[in-house]
Amino acid sequence: MARTNLLRGVGVFALLVVLIVGATAVTGTLLSGTSQSEPVSGPAYNAELIATGVDDDGDVATPTSDEQKTVVVDQSHGNAVSETALEPLLSVLVESGHDVRFYSGDDSGLGTGGLSSESSGLNGTLRSADAFIVANPASAYTTAEINGIEAFADAGGRLLMLADPISPSSSGQSQSLPLPIGTGSGTTTTPGQPTNLAARFGISFGSGYLFDMDENANNYQRVYANPTGEDPLTDGVDRLVVNDATPLTTDDEVTPVVQSEDVRLSSTRRAGTYAVTARTGDVVAVGNTEFLSPSSATVADNELFVSNLAQFLVAGDKETGVPKPSAPTTGIGGTITPPGSDTPPPTNGTTTPTNETGT
Amino acid sequence: MTGGSPGLLDRLRNPVVLLGILGLVVGVALVPVVWDVSTEPDGTVAVVEMHGTITGDTATKAMDDLREARHNDSIEAVTLDVNSGGGLASVSEQLYLAVKQTSQEMPVTVAVTGTAASGGYYMSVPADAIYVSPASTVGSVGVRAVVPSSATADNQITTGPDKALGATETEVRQRVETLRRAFVNTVVAERGDHLALSASELSYAKIYSGTRGVELGLADDIGGLDAAIDAAADRAEISDFRTVRMESPSPDALGQLGLSTEETIDDQVTVSSTQYLMVYGRLNALSAATETEVKTNGTN
Repeated sequence: MARTNLLRGVGVFALLVVLIVGATAVTGTLLSGTSQSEPVSGPAYNAELIATGVDDDGDVATPTSDEQKTVVVDQSHGNAVSETALEPLLSVLVESGHDVRFYSGDDSGLGTGGLSSESSGLNGTLRSADAFIVANPASAYTTAEINGIEAFADAGGRLLMLADPISPSSSGQSQSLPLPIGTGSGTTTTPGQPTNLAARFGISFGSGYLFDMDENANNYQRVYANPTGEDPLTDGVDRLVVNDATPLTTDDEVTPVVQSEDVRLSSTRRAGTYAVTARTGDVVAVGNTEFLSPSSATVADNELFVSNLAQFLVAGDKETGVPKPSAPTTGIGGTITPPGSDTPPPTNGTTTPTNETGT
Repeated sequence: MTGGSPGLLDRLRNPVVLLGILGLVVGVALVPVVWDVSTEPDGTVAVVEMHGTITGDTATKAMDDLREARHNDSIEAVTLDVNSGGGLASVSEQLYLAVKQTSQEMPVTVAVTGTAASGGYYMSVPADAIYVSPASTVGSVGVRAVVPSSATADNQITTGPDKALGATETEVRQRVETLRRAFVNTVVAERGDHLALSASELSYAKIYSGTRGVELGLADDIGGLDAAIDAAADRAEISDFRTVRMESPSPDALGQLGLSTEETIDDQVTVSSTQYLMVYGRLNALSAATETEVKTNGTN
């Protein structure tokens, strides 16, 4: 009897334990919420976000010309553009048999800054050249140089001027800019742009860069530019991409060839249509150098534009022997022209000390 | 004696009296419990800090805090105390998603206690209301990439041209543009009709004062942290609440880590990688590209 009661007690105990534990488990499961939350995603996170690249194909074509031409690239004014940056243009010129030379100043080199007139060196070089490329010069051209280059262009020589916007930092450093010795050009106005040279041809490079917040090549500074009309420079070109371009202002005799519409200028924030390339006769100015670099020369229709520029450089018919040796203010005749000076030399026969280069 | 009044024991035998006493005892015993229940706040508003640069460490703490707020039944609403000029782009997006997740489950308000710029603003936009003070700043909706020097050292052999930098310049630009679209479109979508700026105007990445931010719809109201907390409680419909502050990691400990693009592997080797940042302000000495610019200018 006692054994039966014991077994019955154990049974009741086990049953109660199972009931209590089971009820707790069921209640807990029912009452506990899920720790998972509804998945969330940004309303703007969709496939439309993915930026697509601008077409980058095609090649820069070699120019055609009956005769070998000589293209001189100025490197004597602290030009802030590397040979690599011009490589696509220079490569096709070399490939088509033309002579590409870099003019880096008078060969007399160090220590001659005050004793030789570099202007005669540049003009002498231009005498045997057919085309001249000026890109981002840090120092200003002397009057003698400008006269020589103008004579060169008037005689059928092709002049290509390229410049980027002047960054605030570089303009701020202009006073202490160390100039390459021997270039002789000490007037460091607006480094980065051939201001006084371009002005001779009725062209002015602007300040600031162009940008477009809405329609651009994946960056607000990479703006599209279109031909303004029919010009050999824009044959076949529908749309160019220029990065960090500066606008050109021109007089009536200069024709804008390429312009950007509905873009803004960083310095004024004003929207408008800005010329990026302008041409007057044998002189072309482009407010950008980056489009010539290997990474940009084939973007959009840039390769056609670069091809046309190459063709422009070798298609001239320049008189030989210009600029003539008797170009004004070359320092011949015993007086020494202070390098970089736009003012006439002193007439008392004394040598003006040169201190522009900081040597 | 038998005719006298009943004694105490006799009275206790009366079930009415006995139960009355028992009820008194139980009632008194329950007073503290009932008092606690009746005076307990209706809920808690969690104040989650996001102070300093948004890095993996600071954001992880904030995201953990937000997750805790979502899972803790006593927390009814969240107020974000934001004072950050942004940081890493990917982490800023993670924070944005965490705040959005939280705002779907409970009221979330933001108090801009200094700056909510770039990534700091990104994380704030899903909130139900953004409170600013006149001197606090909001905006800087933009992205940037810091690309280390492209030159591969002579003593390195890589298996591909993009092993060092991970992408070409064009690809980096494309990615930055994609991130910009995500950021700008998110702000436009989250702020909705409040926003008086177009996507294109937002893309200028301007920074605005608190008052101007309210005018432009980047923020909702002028008010401090307490206003934001009260607003969160109101939205959660709790009049009696307490607050719990969940702090950011000490800025001193993380200040040095910042947004360094360089990671030290050992004494001999450090690794620089392309960083995509949503941060307000000018970066100094982080970018190899900047160094290149300096060099170019110097040789002009």
